[in-house]
Amino acid sequence: MIEVRDLRVRYGGRVVADVPELDVGAGECVAIVGESGSGKTTTLLALLGLTTDAEISGRIRVCGVDVRTAPPRRLRAIRGSRAALVMQSPQAALGPATRLGVLMRRALRLHGRPATRQVMAAAMEAVLLDPALLRRYPHEVSGGQAQRFALALAIALGAEVILADEPTSALDVTVQAEVVGVLRRLRAERGLALLLVSHDLALVSTIADRVLVMKDGAVVESGPAGEVLAAPSHPYTRELLEAMP
Amino acid sequence: MSAAEASLRRGLPRIPDRLAALGTAIILIVVLAALLAPWLAPYPDEPNPLEQLRPPGADHWLGTDSVGRDILTRILYGGRTSLFIAVAVLAVSALAGVTLGLVAGYAGGPLRDVIMRVTDVFLAFPALLLSLAMAVVLPPSVNTVVLAIAVTWWPWYARLAASVAASVSTRSYVDAARCLGVPAPLIILRHVLPNSLTPVLVQISLDAGGVILTAAALSYLGLGAQEPTAEWGLMVQQGQTLFTTNWWVVTFPGLAILVTAFAFNVLGEGLRNALDPRRAVR
Amino acid sequence: MTVLRAEPRAELRAENVTLGYGRRPVVHDVTLAIEDGGVGLIGESGSGKTTLARAFLGLLRPISGHILYGDVDLKNADMRMFRKDVQPVFQAEALDPRMRVGASIAEALPRCDRGRVADLLDQVGLDPALAARRPHQLSGGQRQRVVIARALAVAPRLLILDEPTSALDVTVQARILDLLAGLDTERLLITHDLAVVERLCRTSHVLFAGRVVESGPTAELLAAPAHPYTKALRDAVPKLGGPPPEAGGRAEAVPAASGCAYRLRCPLAGPECERPPALRDVGGRRVACHRAEDVPQA
Repeated sequence: MIEVRDLRVRYGGRVVADVPELDVGAGECVAIVGESGSGKTTTLLALLGLTTDAEISGRIRVCGVDVRTAPPRRLRAIRGSRAALVMQSPQAALGPATRLGVLMRRALRLHGRPATRQVMAAAMEAVLLDPALLRRYPHEVSGGQAQRFALALAIALGAEVILADEPTSALDVTVQAEVVGVLRRLRAERGLALLLVSHDLALVSTIADRVLVMKDGAVVESGPAGEVLAAPSHPYTRELLEAMP
Repeated sequence: MSAAEASLRRGLPRIPDRLAALGTAIILIVVLAALLAPWLAPYPDEPNPLEQLRPPGADHWLGTDSVGRDILTRILYGGRTSLFIAVAVLAVSALAGVTLGLVAGYAGGPLRDVIMRVTDVFLAFPALLLSLAMAVVLPPSVNTVVLAIAVTWWPWYARLAASVAASVSTRSYVDAARCLGVPAPLIILRHVLPNSLTPVLVQISLDAGGVILTAAALSYLGLGAQEPTAEWGLMVQQGQTLFTTNWWVVTFPGLAILVTAFAFNVLGEGLRNALDPRRAVR
Repeated sequence: MTVLRAEPRAELRAENVTLGYGRRPVVHDVTLAIEDGGVGLIGESGSGKTTLARAFLGLLRPISGHILYGDVDLKNADMRMFRKDVQPVFQAEALDPRMRVGASIAEALPRCDRGRVADLLDQVGLDPALAARRPHQLSGGQRQRVVIARALAVAPRLLILDEPTSALDVTVQARILDLLAGLDTERLLITHDLAVVERLCRTSHVLFAGRVVESGPTAELLAAPAHPYTKALRDAVPKLGGPPPEAGGRAEAVPAASGCAYRLRCPLAGPECERPPALRDVGGRRVACHRAEDVPQA
């Protein structure tokens, strides 16, 4: 679903992200972990062609589309439907004056999909939300519900890949556990590919198949999650693990 | 993320900044011209019976008025009056409004309620009517204009400062200062004022144009500056009957008002963008 | 590691304190004392933990009940003494963005003592040359150290720490925790992070919807939670290589307005939970739960 080779993102000559290899297949979960300034978010944005003013080199394929060379129209069709981006606080991205149901219906129509009640209710149920919430406004739902609505939107639009940037770090731990549960379910039941950007090694270890550890724009270590986190080979990964409270 | 943000920032259009630079340039020119009026003016600001109502030409670039005064000279001297009024009104109303607003916003509770109700009373009157009423009661003069406008202007600053100060006062650095036992007036002066100032400064520069227009309106109605003081609004008023026959008498002072008011507006917009912390460059 | 002091500290405690903004209480009838060895206040967003911290700092008057400083109600206490005794450490945003950090620290010092700014920066492991910087020119960890340096300026005996590390990267967080653990002061720590409490506090109180639901020694509380909410919190924290975190009931149900506030989320809730539970002793802990004995221990 995602295939990256020799990705290099530069801002004004400075390399902010250098990722030699990153693959996420259907039903797989790959996590990029690192601290602030490590380039993990930049990498995620580059995958969807969302960096502006950046020089990007290398090969990026998302859902079979070459992100760097595809015409903008083709790219827009991928973004938001087959590849969905989930951010830290979705409430900011949802228009405050529009009910969730209207938001979802508009998004469905925009991508030329049937916007029936059944489709919408099914998407809500897939993320364990009560379809009655569709009548609410964004500020009337909790942070965890908003995050799950963002996932429901992705499901309704037929997402095959979800790119999530710290999707649970603004949430309480108990709510985080619920959202993580939903992500795991979507992966198992629908074969969704998941690319997760996070600073939380423990969280990542419970959900990801593979991890990339980034520091100052470079991938310092990558491999199966169990191996990397149980027996880290790079001193920085070890430092991260030891720092965990 | 920071890199992505930086790129977003760089991607913003630069045009407003250029407009703001233009506004700043115009204001600098107007201020310099007003300050240097006695040296720049081509003629003394006195009637000349031999030169009445000359059209713009080589001798009088902008023509002369009905008593033979050079219009360019009058505009230069009039700029002094108009800018003085603007500065005086803004200084008086900002000082009063911001002080009351900061106290109200920081203190909260009953003190805030009292200050804000008083403010509301002043805001309940239509501004121009209140100014007019004051100007009618007091003898017409430049000082009257300043007072009359300032009375209707300060409540806006009080309201703005109160709402900004209330939000600044909830920041934890204010709590931290309170926990150190720093007295309230010092907290307001050291922490609340500096962190509330940006929106107030922007508002002040946006308002300068409005003050000049209001002052011109009062003078135009004969309630402000009096002959022989040069003032742009007064010049427009005196020239209006001549508009069809001697257009220059009205047009140039009118343009001076328009251009200066516009310049202050774009400067205000520019300031707002420049001082917006989200766009601040490290 | 607590160092015994020659001078006994005036104890700070809350007695039946109800707090709120306007008329709606957000903290109900809380009684707790800040004892030696560090006290943790654990709660998620909306639990009232920060409101309680503000009351302990004298920034918020209780609607009812008392904050006692020694034997005196805080509203009658000598505030100059109190301010020298009790200082907050807020998140790194607690620095005035327009002030140089040296000036921020100097604000805490008497005029004749401004020379100590460099010493204080040194004490928290910062280069004294940083005094000339403004907060945005420092990293998150450096800012947090400055906040700590300022709190230490008055040589307080008690620090009230409000989420002091939650905005920081893990490696930075670890160093700040080392710094805090090494300080020779008592502490009340307000946080949602169980690992941080475990590190810094001998005793802990768990807050839910403005009420203390469980109190006891931190280690025991986390090893064998007696309240279903404490257990849910503990099990929701992801563990390295552990099983997926569990929410333990419906994490987003709103607190119940009557009876036990937790009952709409609680997997053990029964008919008795429609009566509000009182705090009672269960196995050396104070617990407000009718079903404390039935909480599975795993």
